[in-house]
This record gives sequence, C-alpha cells and structure tokens, in this order.
Amino acid sequence: MNVIEIKNLTKNYGKSRGIEDISFNVEDREVFGFIGPNGAGKSTTIRTLLGLIYPASGAATIFGKSCIDNPEIRKDIGYLPSEVFYYDKMRVIDLLKYSASFYNKDCTKRINELAEIMDLNLKKRIDDLSFGNKKKVGIVQGLLHEPKLIILDEPTSGLDPLMQQRFFELLVQENNKGATIFFSSHILSEVQKMCHRVAFIKEGKIIKLEKMSTLKESAYKKVKVEAKNHIEKDYFKMSGVNNLEVNGNIANFIFNGNINSVMKKITDLELYNVWVDDPDLEEIFLHYYAKED
Amino acid sequence: MIIFLREMKANRKSLVIWSLSVIMMVFLGMVKFKSYQSAGQSMNNLLGDMPRSLKAILGFSVFDVSKASGFYAMFFLYLQLMTTIHAVLLGAGIIAKEERDKTTEFLMTKPVSRNVIITSKLVAAIVNVVIINIVSLISSLAIVSAYSNGERVSGDITKLMVGMLIAQLIFLSIGAGIAAISKNSKTSGAFGAAILIGALFVDKIIDVNKSLENLKYLSPLKYFDAEALLVGNGFEPVFIIISIVIIAALTYLTYSCYNRRDLSI
Repeated sequence: MNVIEIKNLTKNYGKSRGIEDISFNVEDREVFGFIGPNGAGKSTTIRTLLGLIYPASGAATIFGKSCIDNPEIRKDIGYLPSEVFYYDKMRVIDLLKYSASFYNKDCTKRINELAEIMDLNLKKRIDDLSFGNKKKVGIVQGLLHEPKLIILDEPTSGLDPLMQQRFFELLVQENNKGATIFFSSHILSEVQKMCHRVAFIKEGKIIKLEKMSTLKESAYKKVKVEAKNHIEKDYFKMSGVNNLEVNGNIANFIFNGNINSVMKKITDLELYNVWVDDPDLEEIFLHYYAKED
Repeated sequence: MIIFLREMKANRKSLVIWSLSVIMMVFLGMVKFKSYQSAGQSMNNLLGDMPRSLKAILGFSVFDVSKASGFYAMFFLYLQLMTTIHAVLLGAGIIAKEERDKTTEFLMTKPVSRNVIITSKLVAAIVNVVIINIVSLISSLAIVSAYSNGERVSGDITKLMVGMLIAQLIFLSIGAGIAAISKNSKTSGAFGAAILIGALFVDKIIDVNKSLENLKYLSPLKYFDAEALLVGNGFEPVFIIISIVIIAALTYLTYSCYNRRDLSI
C-alpha cells in the first residue's frame, strides 16, 4: 500500500522555478529520504502534498486522499517544518496543548515523554528559546499525537549531534511501531543511516530514485592512489571514472564499471599505497550532480 | 471551537485596551461639553461667527451643542471612527496573522479545513466587535446621562450604537476581505485603514459641500451617522440593504479567496 502518492506534480512560482513533473510513491512503513540541495524544490513538494499550496498540475495524495479536499486525514500526519515559528507569547506547554487539542485525544503523557527525550523545558516562553530549542518544540509538536505518517522538512538543522542522535532513535522507534517516515534533507549522511529508499531532486526534477540497498551495493568504488612519482593529470581519464582529482602523486576518484580495467591502470604505476572503499552516499550524490552539470 | 477560543485569548489584551480607550473618549468628550457649557454665551457667539464649512468639518453644523445629546451626537463620528478602525484592523489582522507570524505551517497542517479556520476567526472577531459596541453603549449611557441635566438620552444613544455596529461589521468584513485576497500579510491592515480614511474624507466632503450628497453611498460612515439617525430619516432601507450586500459580498470573497490561494509561508 502507498501512503504517499505523487503523480506528475508541477508547481511554479511566477518566474522562479518550483517543481516539474514529479512522481513517486512512499510505501507503508517505509522510511523515505528526499534529497537535494537548497532550492531544489523539496519544501515546495511537501507543502503541496500537505495542501498549503496548490499544484499547477498533477496530484498528491496521502492515504489515497488529497489534503485539500479531506483535511481530516491530517490527523494522522505529523509535520515538522524546516523553519519553526510559533505564537511567541505562548509557553511551550501551552503551544503543545493547543496543538494536541486538534487531535481529540489525550497527549499529555506523550508530550512529557518526548520533552524528556529531547531535553526540552516545557515552562519556557517560546520567544525565549534558541533556534535549536524551537526545533525541539517542532519535533515534539510533530510527534505528540503518534501520527501514522511523519513528514519532516530538514529535521536536523539546528540540533546538536547528541540531539540529532536521540531524534533519529526516536524516529526508528516510531518506524518500528508502524509509522511511515518521509523526510527531506540536504545532508546525506543523515539519510544513509535510516532510509529504505531515497529520491534525489535537483532543479525541481527527480533525477534518481533508488533503494538504499541498491545504492550501497552499486559497483561504485572510492579509489585513492598514492604513487611514487607524479601522476599525469589525464592518466585515469577513462570510462567509469568520475570526480577525478589529481594532486601531485595522489589521485582520488569514484569508479563505476569493470574493476579489472582500472586495476590494470593502477598496477602500471609504482605505488606507495592504494585505498579502495565503498563511497558514502554523499560522494555518489556529488557524482550525480557532476554528471548533470 | 479550539481556534475560536485561541483567538479570543489572543485578542483579550487588545480588547481591554480598546475598551478603555472608548470609555476614555466618551468621558473626555463629555468633560469638554461641561467646559463648553460653563463658557455659556461666549461659546455660542463664537460658534455663530464661524464659517459654515469650518463648522461642518468640526461637526458643529447640525446639532445643538449646548445640549448633552447634541454634543454627544457631534462627537459620535469620532467614536464611530475609533470603533471602525478597531474593526478593520481586527478583521485584517485575524486573517493575516498566521501568515504574518509564519504560523501557517503549524495551523494549516492540523486536521481542519480552511473554511473552519476562517469561520472560527470571523466569529471571534464579531464577538470582539460586539463587545466594543456594548462597552460604547454602556459607557455612553452612563457618562452622557451624568452630564445631561435630566435630558433623556438613552433612545438616541441606542439608535447611534445600532448604526455604529453596522458600520463596525462593514469595516470588519473589509479588513478580512483584504487580508484574504492580499498575498502580503503585512500590508492588509494598513490598506484597510486607508480605505477607512478615504471613507472619512468622503464623509467630510459631503458635510462641507451638500451638493455632493450623492457621494454618500461611497462612505459607510455616512450610512448611519448621527445626522441621518437623529434628525434625518433614521435607518434608511437603502443603506441597510447596501450594508448587507457589502458584508455578504466581502464575506463570500474572504472564504473563496482564502480557500483558493496559496498560503504564503
């Protein structure tokens, strides 16, 4: 079953680019990463999905329904916006209670649990909070009603590493309990840890949608060669070599193809050292970018 | 209901301040009346020597300002102006505030439709406007009768307050309509206030130059002003109909525009 279905979604803001003909599905209980640089259209996609803005064409549905025609489906959605703004004069607890009051269930226990985990002071006024603490309010606010679908837009910006880790543990727990998670990010290491599938978006278009396992198992190798002598700039210019950087007697590149061909090249050099690793997602991703440019 | 209560709470402080201002205005107005009265004959001579247009602008032209009811009727315009400014700013603010304060993504992702949100907000705004009107009514009845030397004023004041309520509702719907149509949440209040000042300008032009009488349809302040209600024909059906049409049309626009447009985030 698909929790999110996006079909040929297009949205433009006047002159500036929005998103163009985006299609993908997020399955039940999946953790889906939506990756792209700032301004690629991640927030636009999410806001259209949630019914905050209207698509120019195409459709976006959650649980098979559109958020605009059926606002009640939002009771099963928890949303963390990329920038968190709240009613300044409220205290944290008042805001969370206000938020909870929309869901017709008692969320007090969950609020306290989440505040404990995220180390959030409920008594403070929201306008006294730092950016990171406001983000925590957003996280608690998005999770307090135990939603079936959690949508997170750049969730970790502003959180310190300890909080990021706790937050991810929290998401894993929610996922194990049955929640589907859809989140956008430009930080790829975040995605790598927990996503089942990822979609890459660039300049308003989906450029790649792949299973995490496939991405990881793909034939991409990260190669670093340290030779005794100076390496010619073009020495490794061959098919399958990407992101080539040559610096004196050291060469770095990502390789995708028949490993033998590149190994032959390497053994022809007098070597000090050689490293062959699985690249992390960031490097594969950079490779996608490089290809497009 | 949740949003209604939230809005009532959010507007509580401003409602108290506006109510106190209304009471102060009525009180200071009548204190001034007292000083006019004690100035006696010299005041009447001064007014008699004033050019008609100046009297018109100051609002002295029609009423017998030596009587409490006449003096109150003269400064009723300013009371009306104050309460309609409150109404237009409230109407614009209550609709635009989520976008202005960037809380759109919080509220609009809750399981409520935009229609429910607008209805809750408009009902809260109407309750606020009615409270201001009741405060004006009670403070006027109490303060004016204290200065009236036995003159009966309650009938006139009640009539004026009913007229003022209609004007308040018109400007509330103008404010809300502008905020719903406009994509710029910061300017809708100022734009509403500008329309109000325009209406006041038209109102004064008519007072100065009676030949421009037909412009009165352009100024909601004129529909039920003191002159019409107390010495004219009272509540004229044509103005009641125009008022209802304006309020209904703007309310319809508020809903349809707010529902159809992209929220600015």
